[in-house]
Amino acid sequence: MSADNVGVIHNIGYRSYEGARLGRAQIVRALTSHSLRSAFGFGRGAKAKIVPVLTFVAICLPAIVSAVAVALNSGHTRPISYDVYLPQLRIFVLIVFMAAQAPDLVSRDLRSHCLPLYFARPIERIDYPLAKLIAFFAAMLVMIEVPLLLLYVGTATQLHTGSQIWHETKALIPGLLLGVAWAAVLCGLGLLFASFSGRRAYATGAVAIFFFLTLTLATLLTNIGDGPKGGQVLSKLAGLISPFTVLDGVRQWLGGTTQGMVPNPGGDGVLYGLMFVVFLVVGVGGLILRYRKVGVA
Amino acid sequence: MTTHTVAQAATQTARQPVITASKLTKTYQGSVRALDELTVAVPAGVTALVGANGAGKSTLIKILLGLLPATSGAATVLGFACGSQGSSIRTHTGYMPEHDCLPPDVTATEFVTHLGRMSGLPATAAKERAADSLRHVGLYEERYRQIGTYSTGMKQRVKLAQALVGDPQLLLLDEPTNGLDPAGRSAMLDLIARIGTEFGISMLVASHLLGEVEQICDHLVALDGGRLLRADTISSFTRASEFLLIEVDEGSDLLAAELTNRGLRPVDYQRGLLVQMDGESSFDVVRDALADLGLPLNRLEHRRHRLEELFSDSGSEAVAYEAKGVADVR
Repeated sequence: MSADNVGVIHNIGYRSYEGARLGRAQIVRALTSHSLRSAFGFGRGAKAKIVPVLTFVAICLPAIVSAVAVALNSGHTRPISYDVYLPQLRIFVLIVFMAAQAPDLVSRDLRSHCLPLYFARPIERIDYPLAKLIAFFAAMLVMIEVPLLLLYVGTATQLHTGSQIWHETKALIPGLLLGVAWAAVLCGLGLLFASFSGRRAYATGAVAIFFFLTLTLATLLTNIGDGPKGGQVLSKLAGLISPFTVLDGVRQWLGGTTQGMVPNPGGDGVLYGLMFVVFLVVGVGGLILRYRKVGVA
Repeated sequence: MTTHTVAQAATQTARQPVITASKLTKTYQGSVRALDELTVAVPAGVTALVGANGAGKSTLIKILLGLLPATSGAATVLGFACGSQGSSIRTHTGYMPEHDCLPPDVTATEFVTHLGRMSGLPATAAKERAADSLRHVGLYEERYRQIGTYSTGMKQRVKLAQALVGDPQLLLLDEPTNGLDPAGRSAMLDLIARIGTEFGISMLVASHLLGEVEQICDHLVALDGGRLLRADTISSFTRASEFLLIEVDEGSDLLAAELTNRGLRPVDYQRGLLVQMDGESSFDVVRDALADLGLPLNRLEHRRHRLEELFSDSGSEAVAYEAKGVADVR
């Protein structure tokens, strides 16, 4: 090995690095935190922060309004359940966030062709999509769970007895867990569609079109199926098309509080569970495959 | 600097090679052979990797880094096996790609710092080394500007800085002078030479311009069609590729006969005669022959070669020479 006999230093102007080097896991962690920051536009100019800040405010707004409403009404009852906060109020905002920010994590590096610079460093191929997935998963958690926590804090501060607060906390936990499922499915699919193109506009379009189109189709078919006769099956299965309706179907299957975007799937709930796994695997697996094939030329 | 390079080369000849390849083969889509059983050893120091476009230079570099898998054969870099020890190789190797690879909307400092982190440097060390590397390549206040505002020359420097940031023992530079004007080229070559001699970092510099890299390299590896054409010290290589083109207004045949008598091997080439140089004395031989015959000299040109010329199928002196079976440039 020529490690110690090549480095003849003739000029003290160049300093070699003798310190510790990070391992693979630590490099992945560094890439993850870098990507998470860029998901919210940190480390970029003011322009990059506009969409993330606006969508974050928009997604939290109903929770804040709810806190005010809880404080004002005499019974101090929460106007919306934790598990339907997103599907009933904020899907549009979430799609806008994904369409705008997922390309920031993956499409930019494709566009500037700097992936070979990553792959020429001591990480493996799979580490790059993995770091991006973890980062976008964390970003989605922030977008999904923070409003729920605001909703909780806004309600709980108006409650007086310990049992009331405990009751409130018990209502929150399924909402938070469901939020994790949302983040997991959406981060994979969002990044996968965003990584189709290095052109930011195309990447944004791919994400937005996929989520809007499937959602519209699922809603439309569900409504048609609601008709007088023979539509029951269509109505129950149409929800399998869109990740959002699948997530809502799973919510109801697992005992969600109220009727949601799709009719309660009942015995077909297992299909929704299955489709949930399919979306998860397609998103995460698809992204990893995408980066195994990406060119380094 | 020349003596420096020579001295360094002399001390390094006895050392372990930094790169070895053994029957390395890369086939694209089952048919195109980018590398064909390449066996070569690259010593420490600055080595030029020359060949025409498509000779397999970039493919070799990418296999060494583990960016591409080899179809068959084996290679080592700094004593680590390509493939199984790829991450160790990449820890100690810096890579400057041929193509544009910089995002336009971040500053050079941010970008190089981030890639320093990706090379395994802790946050503070990455910042320090990014500033150092950018200073070494000659970017000072500009480094706080977005890369999109840079000239091609500055972008090439950023590409070099990001390769240096991880304190590599070996740099793999793929066409570092691509897209630069003559002044930019010579500045980049000076920089590369300085990194090789002053910083003591071994380098493999891929280029299709032999004339360019021969000034700064100790060794040379020439590829042609994915095969090793020749690997040697730079001095022995360039001697074999120097030619003298002689054009006279009349009496070309007489001159050819006279030159043959005097031990040179002239070949008809375009409108003149081509002789392979045999050291500086060849100039004297040609001068004396012309003077003795009293021929009107039209043109006397000392030709060094662009490698693509040297290897291309037509129009090259080397091919003309080979076709006549007079000399073997290999």
